[in-house]
Amino acid sequence: MLLSLLLLIPFLGALALILWPGSPSSARLRDVSIVLLVMQCLASFALLLPFDAADAGLQLVEQARWVRAIGLDYALALDGLSLPLVLMNGVLCLVAAISSRTIENRPRVYFALLLVISGAVNGAFLAQNLLLFFLFYELELIPLWLLIAVWGGANRAYAATKFLIVTAVSGVLILGAFLGIAFVTGTMDFSLRPILAGELGMTTQLVLMGALLIGFGIKIPLFPFHTWLPDAHTEASTPVSVLLAGVLLKLGTYGLLRFCLGLFPDAWQVAAPWLAGWAAISVLYGSLAAIAQSDMKRMVAYSSVGHMGYVLLAAAAATPLGLMGALFQMVSHGLISGVLFLVVGVVYAQTGTRDLNVLRGLLNPQRGLPLTGSLMIIGVMASAGIPGMAGFISEFLIFRGSLQPFPLATLLSMVGSGLTAVYFLLLVNRAFFGRLAIAPGEVVNPRILNRVALREQAPAIALSLGVLVLGLAPELLSNLSEAATTGLSLITGDMS
Amino acid sequence: MTVGASSAATVAAAQRFQAAMPDMGASLLATQAMAAPGELLNLSLNASAVLPEAAVLLAMIATLLVDLAGEKVATRWVPPICYIGLGSSLVLLALQWNAPLEPSFLGAFLADNLAVAFRAVIALSTLLSLLISWRYAEKSGTPVGEYAAILLAATLGAMLLCGATDLVSVFISLETLSVASYLLSGYMKRDARSSEAALKYLLVGSAAAAVFLYGSSLLYGLSGSTSLDTIGLALQSSTTPLAALALVFVLATVAFKIAAVPFHQWTPDVYEGSPTPVVAFLSVGSKAAGFALALRILVGCFGAFDDQWKLLFTVLAVLSMTLGNVVALAQTSMKRMLAYSSIGQAGFVMIGMVCGTEDGFAAMVLYMAAYLFMNLGAFACIILFSIRTGSDRISDYAGLYQKDPLITLGLSLCLLSLGGIPPMLGFFGKIYLFFAGWANHQYLLVVVGLVTSVISIYYYISVIKMMVVKEPQEASDVVKAYPDVNWSLMGMQPLRVALIGCVAITAVGGILSNPLFQWANTAVAGTPLLQQAIALSSLKGLG
Amino acid sequence: MSDFLATLPSLQAYLLVAAMLFCIGVWGLINSRNAVRVLMSIELMLNAVNINLMAFSSFVDGDLIRGQVFAVFVITVAAAEAAVGLAILLSLYRNRVTVDMEQFNLLRW
Repeated sequence: MLLSLLLLIPFLGALALILWPGSPSSARLRDVSIVLLVMQCLASFALLLPFDAADAGLQLVEQARWVRAIGLDYALALDGLSLPLVLMNGVLCLVAAISSRTIENRPRVYFALLLVISGAVNGAFLAQNLLLFFLFYELELIPLWLLIAVWGGANRAYAATKFLIVTAVSGVLILGAFLGIAFVTGTMDFSLRPILAGELGMTTQLVLMGALLIGFGIKIPLFPFHTWLPDAHTEASTPVSVLLAGVLLKLGTYGLLRFCLGLFPDAWQVAAPWLAGWAAISVLYGSLAAIAQSDMKRMVAYSSVGHMGYVLLAAAAATPLGLMGALFQMVSHGLISGVLFLVVGVVYAQTGTRDLNVLRGLLNPQRGLPLTGSLMIIGVMASAGIPGMAGFISEFLIFRGSLQPFPLATLLSMVGSGLTAVYFLLLVNRAFFGRLAIAPGEVVNPRILNRVALREQAPAIALSLGVLVLGLAPELLSNLSEAATTGLSLITGDMS
Repeated sequence: MTVGASSAATVAAAQRFQAAMPDMGASLLATQAMAAPGELLNLSLNASAVLPEAAVLLAMIATLLVDLAGEKVATRWVPPICYIGLGSSLVLLALQWNAPLEPSFLGAFLADNLAVAFRAVIALSTLLSLLISWRYAEKSGTPVGEYAAILLAATLGAMLLCGATDLVSVFISLETLSVASYLLSGYMKRDARSSEAALKYLLVGSAAAAVFLYGSSLLYGLSGSTSLDTIGLALQSSTTPLAALALVFVLATVAFKIAAVPFHQWTPDVYEGSPTPVVAFLSVGSKAAGFALALRILVGCFGAFDDQWKLLFTVLAVLSMTLGNVVALAQTSMKRMLAYSSIGQAGFVMIGMVCGTEDGFAAMVLYMAAYLFMNLGAFACIILFSIRTGSDRISDYAGLYQKDPLITLGLSLCLLSLGGIPPMLGFFGKIYLFFAGWANHQYLLVVVGLVTSVISIYYYISVIKMMVVKEPQEASDVVKAYPDVNWSLMGMQPLRVALIGCVAITAVGGILSNPLFQWANTAVAGTPLLQQAIALSSLKGLG
Repeated sequence: MSDFLATLPSLQAYLLVAAMLFCIGVWGLINSRNAVRVLMSIELMLNAVNINLMAFSSFVDGDLIRGQVFAVFVITVAAAEAAVGLAILLSLYRNRVTVDMEQFNLLRW
């Protein structure tokens, strides 16, 4: 029942917002949705109580028949893989709602869509039926499209449509692969279970897994399917960017672990070297492209491409340590990119630009944005993998776990990790250090840079605290998921 | 004389077959062959099978009579008469559901569950089309009584077509539907476009009917009978080239009726030129009748040519899905866009038919029912918009959300459902079709279906983008001058009821779709014709 | 019955005539610019069907005359169809003052 609550609160909440009588103000609607999301967040943390971390299997299973004719069951369950992601979804959706201060255009629809997305993501992480997962996966598509298309920047229509079409293609590939899985195994059932050796020809397995890989690869996004992401991020508003990077990309990596690796352990082993190579290319490409950006938000977006590549690398290695790292990376990337996007959003709101060629000296203690700058530096350090932050733990685990099976790919990815430091140093150096002197004709007017209230920075501060806590006490997370990730790696281990 | 001899042999073979496997048609045929005219009259006509049609017929006659009393009386009384007629027809249909099967009119009509299901879809589509018509008819200054009578006549034909099991009754009901449809599409007499649409429809439709007749005359010659059962048996024992020719002729007509590419050229013209409520009926009711005809003739009659017609249908389905959805991208008129989208949708339904499995047929029935609600919901919104603004250009919808949230929400939900986005009804229907197709190894069809679904999402979304994303300052002139919403005018309340009903079912029906799935499965289970085909194809699959 | 049949040409002859008539109808359907001629071509096609039905009825069906009944239905419906067709044509003529098929091009994508 607890799991259904995670769906009911946001969906019914969205309905309530739509049907809310009268014409409530934006602030009122925001308060209501914050209350709802706090409830959802509490409900997801309440999962920690009944959750048994030592058990690698599914827990809190909820099963009901839905549409028998197409093998669609309402089957929800929790394990160490989905729990951290559900928790992160709860936190980041709350953060997104809190930071949606300036929504004056159709706030009712905005907050309702936010709630729908949060419910759909919960559903996708908890679904134990392929078709149910697909349903939730597609459900998040239209709300996010609207969030970008209506509340986005100048070029939003193009970015939103690109996002929509590319993601729809990803959905179609995934659906095709799911249909294939259901029928080729002959069960006519969409329940999740690994496809054992001998049950299917290797070619069939590879084809099905390839479709899933490309489908989720679009969502993650991996090079060369990433082109929608920078556009979508650049045009989306700050809260939507936080959601997109923090939560929705994780649907892709989660799918990678749960469906590609979890269902096709045999084929995965065959493809693993190639996947590791692909991951390295993706990491290097993301990092190099980030260096070339002059738009702060685009740079952060490209860094996502790179950092999500680590997850593929770890998944390819499929060692217990690497998979733990992958999960860690998913969570820490969610938190870190949350911080980064929030800070970029504040800078943009205060200066009216995100152009690194224009911004300078924002860290100025009197006239600049010192707190924002500090938060940015924390986020950047975490992202670059400085010890003591969550990013370090995840990168260390991933590289440690994948060095042995794929030394070359891991080394290349380490280079990419080094490049992270390079482009983020560039960012901090250009935008935050130096003098806040403004050359004639430049757009930034130092008088606009009002002190940003601590209250408004609270979400970013909370997320950075989370990054620090996870960095200093990684066992908080690893204890939850160790059994699950080990179990996942064992599937492949058995086969070899 | 060779044809005669061979067909005599086939009849003999047919009778042997029937003796071995007695069914309802056999005894009837035997009596019919030997009976003197006096004895024939003693046979039970079992006319109660067409009671639902009788209700529609009575409503039609009553409408015509009321219409004689003048415009005012007609406007007052025609709507309730139609509601009562169609409502009682639906109730009578519900009573026929799962009833013991008995062929009526000496084997010319059979009220099996398939017929009941499709007739219900048709009656419902007429009811909804009528609900959304009154205001439109009033606004365009056309007499309501005649319009309703012709629409009821078309319904009558379409409903009879669903259960017709004899070439003569198929032809008569097909022509009742067609002739009434020609009249309907040309109903706006003063509009040159409407007349042009009607003429094009009439010429192409009559040619199609002539081709169908030529094919059926060949079938009659091959089997010496006009009963579809007997023809099917006769064809099984002699698969001559002439029978293949007959198949091509009949298939062309079926494809014309369901507007499959390349027999679709009339669709966009007729949809654009005809009055919008008529298009609503044509796109659902007429199409459902076409699919019922396809099932009756191709599955029931051409079982011996299973591979051939399935191959042809596969080609037609691939072409329909591809062309329908791709050309829809380029449309600027809402009606024309929906016309091409309906071609694509027909392609999806054909997947179920090609499968020939239990799930395939059930998916067809289910998708037709889902299509009924989502398409008519969309049409209700379009009609409402065109009543208020007089436009159906897609670009005129820009910024509509601010002026008319109801249309925006309703049209958005219906279009998303047509595009197969969860959790709408269309998503479940489409998944079921793909599920059935994949289970039957129709990989090409499913892959084309999946790819074209993405294309279709693009153009459905672009309409939603117009309505929802455009800000007030980007709104079209039509929307800027949008009139105040007034629901008290004559015919507006029915329109609202239809709109909200369709949209609600489209939006919630998916989540609660289990009864609908069961309904579709029962429709297939209670139809001997389909059960035979399923048994045959599963035998073939084993062998 | 068989005496009667013996006086007739073979079934193939009838079928051939019907097929030719049908082809002429199709040719007229495709090539006519005048809408009335198109309607007439369709009538030709229907008549070809009638000949087919009558021939089959005599040669194949024996005592039952289902083909003839069918033909009667076809004739009736064809009359109705022609009536509706001419009515529509008339209303179009009032609007456009032409029956030239090439001129009917208001609807085009």
